[in-house]
Amino acid sequence: MMAGARGLRYRASQNWHYPIPMQPVQPSWFATRSSLRPVIAAMVAAAIFIADTLTDLEIAIAALYVTVILLSVSFAQRRGVLLIGSICIALTVVSYALTRSGEPLSGGINCLISLTAIAATTYLVLRIEAARVAVYEARAQLAHVARVTTLGELTASIAHEVNQPLTAVVTNGNAALRWLASVPPNAAEAIPAINRIVKEANRASQIIDRIRLLARRAPPAPSRFNVNDTVLATLPLIQNQIDRYGISLGTQLDTSLPNIRCDEIQLQQVLLNLLVNAVESLAKVEPGTRELRLRTARSVDNVIVAVEDNGTGLSAELDRLFDAFYTTKSEGLGMGLAIARSIIEAHSGRIWAETRRPQGAIMQFSLPIPAEPSHSSSRD
Amino acid sequence: MSDDSTVFIVDDEIAIREALDSLFRSAGMRAISFGSVLEFLASERPDVPACLVLDVRLPGINGLDFFDQMNELGIQMPVVFITAHGDVPMSVRAMRAGAINFIIKPFPDHVLLDAVQAAFARDRLRRASLVAADSLKRRFESLTMRERQILWLVVAGQLNKQIAAHLGLSEITVKVHRAQMMRKMQATSLIDLVRKADILSRNPADLTVH
Repeated sequence: MMAGARGLRYRASQNWHYPIPMQPVQPSWFATRSSLRPVIAAMVAAAIFIADTLTDLEIAIAALYVTVILLSVSFAQRRGVLLIGSICIALTVVSYALTRSGEPLSGGINCLISLTAIAATTYLVLRIEAARVAVYEARAQLAHVARVTTLGELTASIAHEVNQPLTAVVTNGNAALRWLASVPPNAAEAIPAINRIVKEANRASQIIDRIRLLARRAPPAPSRFNVNDTVLATLPLIQNQIDRYGISLGTQLDTSLPNIRCDEIQLQQVLLNLLVNAVESLAKVEPGTRELRLRTARSVDNVIVAVEDNGTGLSAELDRLFDAFYTTKSEGLGMGLAIARSIIEAHSGRIWAETRRPQGAIMQFSLPIPAEPSHSSSRD
Repeated sequence: MSDDSTVFIVDDEIAIREALDSLFRSAGMRAISFGSVLEFLASERPDVPACLVLDVRLPGINGLDFFDQMNELGIQMPVVFITAHGDVPMSVRAMRAGAINFIIKPFPDHVLLDAVQAAFARDRLRRASLVAADSLKRRFESLTMRERQILWLVVAGQLNKQIAAHLGLSEITVKVHRAQMMRKMQATSLIDLVRKADILSRNPADLTVH
């Protein structure tokens, strides 16, 4: 991260979300689709047809065609199910015509009952499938809404971050123009104003760089690195907030930590999320008492990172904290910690929350140390 | 500008403070900047026509909340808000509370400079009327109790005869007191006296008769 640059300033009242692409939610019956199923269905249909044709008319074997229809949903679309239903009906009628033995009247009634059963099953199966599709679409829409909202919030945040240096640029520019337009032109005042323009424009571009890095939609790129470096690179992003709320920050980094292997940007997102939550919680308690502690440590074959604050603490429902759409913030979407958990778990790690005594919260995550340890100061 | 009108800037961002300071000075105004409300309150403020350019989001107390408290703190200067993330409710609140303007960052320089000029004009007017009210009050205080009684009765529309009856004095005595009162109040006519009495009654000070 750019040293000496001013940290990002986040909107204090806002939850912080990350634009991580969501996996599309697949309905379960797509997953069980297999090329064997149409064959099985055809064989079952053939068996039913033979049995139906060979047995007496009164025996309504044709009703068993419903199993074929129930099977068909697992591989066919709406039209396919309709077609298979029609075929079953046709087969029933054909085998009624072909059957030699039995009483035609009661056989005919049984045949009608079978046909009704087949038609009703087809109808119901189609209805159920329609409902499943609707659920799938609703989930996809929800995921989309979450993405768009996240993007919207991120945009608002970027807009604010860039607005400050931009205001300084515009104001200094106007001042410089006025100094130069005065008679005689006042270079002694104009030059510092122009220098400030350059400085603030650079600051804006650094903010953009940093946000671009954060919002990068690249697939996870695991690399070996030291968690302590990540912690030190993440802190400047929130330093401004820490200063703004007069939070006393303590870091306790275990310098003997071995390198771990994971996506550093994603890890940074998790850490930033925990830090933003801690700062938001601290902002609600008495100024002057606000303390934020960041620790890294080793526990057997895991690296542990802990963010500890003496803020308002966690509500009773510790186990729901990491659920998607669970939020205690009025403006939160409840996505931050859910995403953090999905990132940590994707790296075979664990994330958990504890209540701190007498007040506050401790958020921790652990990541496994890879089998062959590499040198703690090198990266590949 | 030839007078000593001063802009007070409160913004927590040093880059914005420096830029505003330079802008105001380039427009010939005096400017003093502060990083927080507390710094501003702790400062020695010259008694000149002034304007406060106030950022909304500040460490400690928020600019809008501070604006609401300014009256209680006895700070009278007009306020121009500047903010990077203003919304409609915020601006409505600021304007209702009597802010000169609510300006979204970044802004064209003339918008801010015009607002500050308007603020100066308002503050000069306020200070002038304060001076006038003050001298009026001193004139009123130079009146005797009898003259004060007569003043309020005259303003209430009573004739000398009625006042005399009311106070149990002769009409001649009332006329003498009344002339004396008009002279001390530097009232040129009855209308002028009524106007002055009106200003006095709007500045709740010691207007007692007894």
